[in-house]
Amino acid sequence: MIKVIDIMTKEVIITSPDTTIIKAAKLLTEKSVSSLVVVEKGKAVAVISEADITKGIIGKKTKVREVMDREFQIISPLAKFSEISKMLREKKIKRFPIVDKGRLVGLITETDIIETTRDFTRFHQMVQDIILAVFGIATAFFLFYFSPLRAWIFS
Amino acid sequence: MARVSKIMLTDVPTLKKEARVAEAARLLNSSKSGCVVIVENNYPIGIVTELDFVRSIASKGKNLAQPVSKIMSTPLVTMSPGMKLDEALKIIDTKRFRKYPVVEEGKLVGLITKKDVVNSISDNVKFHRNIQNAVLILFVLFEIIVFVFSSYLYKYFSLGA
Repeated sequence: MIKVIDIMTKEVIITSPDTTIIKAAKLLTEKSVSSLVVVEKGKAVAVISEADITKGIIGKKTKVREVMDREFQIISPLAKFSEISKMLREKKIKRFPIVDKGRLVGLITETDIIETTRDFTRFHQMVQDIILAVFGIATAFFLFYFSPLRAWIFS
Repeated sequence: MARVSKIMLTDVPTLKKEARVAEAARLLNSSKSGCVVIVENNYPIGIVTELDFVRSIASKGKNLAQPVSKIMSTPLVTMSPGMKLDEALKIIDTKRFRKYPVVEEGKLVGLITKKDVVNSISDNVKFHRNIQNAVLILFVLFEIIVFVFSSYLYKYFSLGA
């Protein structure tokens, strides 16, 4: 089972609701991340991403507070990957700050989930190949065992 | 295995390369795809994503009047609609992009995202492969059983030696 703790981004970049959007944009590019967690009084209150910043600049907003996205789901580090993947696909929640005992410890975004799904697919493909190989060897042996060829060789 | 044409988005927002950044941003904001494809004679020459926009804002400030060709990502990696999804994924694995325009006969016909390709393949793996594996395992078990009891079977059906 894949745990949240293994795939999350541990270095979460935080910002405050009163920061300007331009500053947030600079932070995003400097740290090459796609989302920032907005923290107010020690609590994660929102997430801000590239899309929100774009929206803010078009709408002539200046502060992070005016554009930040409150559509997020706080999860515990013990949550299962399958739960998050389901939430992403069914409820369209794209950001998951991870809070452990009231402390922000990580962030999972859509990109992390896609990458993990991709790795999982690779793993599945490997299992598939192994099963195919076992099948091939077993069948070859089976056919050989009951074929006249065996009797001819070992007679 | 499904093909690219099955999962691609067909209503892709497009702009000419002379268009202003402001128009691109407005389109980015109003469309769900999260990107605008920059075309020249219907052929995609670049792409502007939210990331490109944010990057330009961060480095050069709020310059919404410059042409989109200044901020677009180019060159592009394109796919063809007849391509199988696992071939597409092989290409995607070697690149670091999220969106890939689909081109047929020199014309933009759609857009695929890494997310859609990965999800679609993952679903395929989950449903089809599991059944296939179960059948293979049953077959191998059958072979083992026949092999182990072969001497009894010979006697019972009075076959061979």
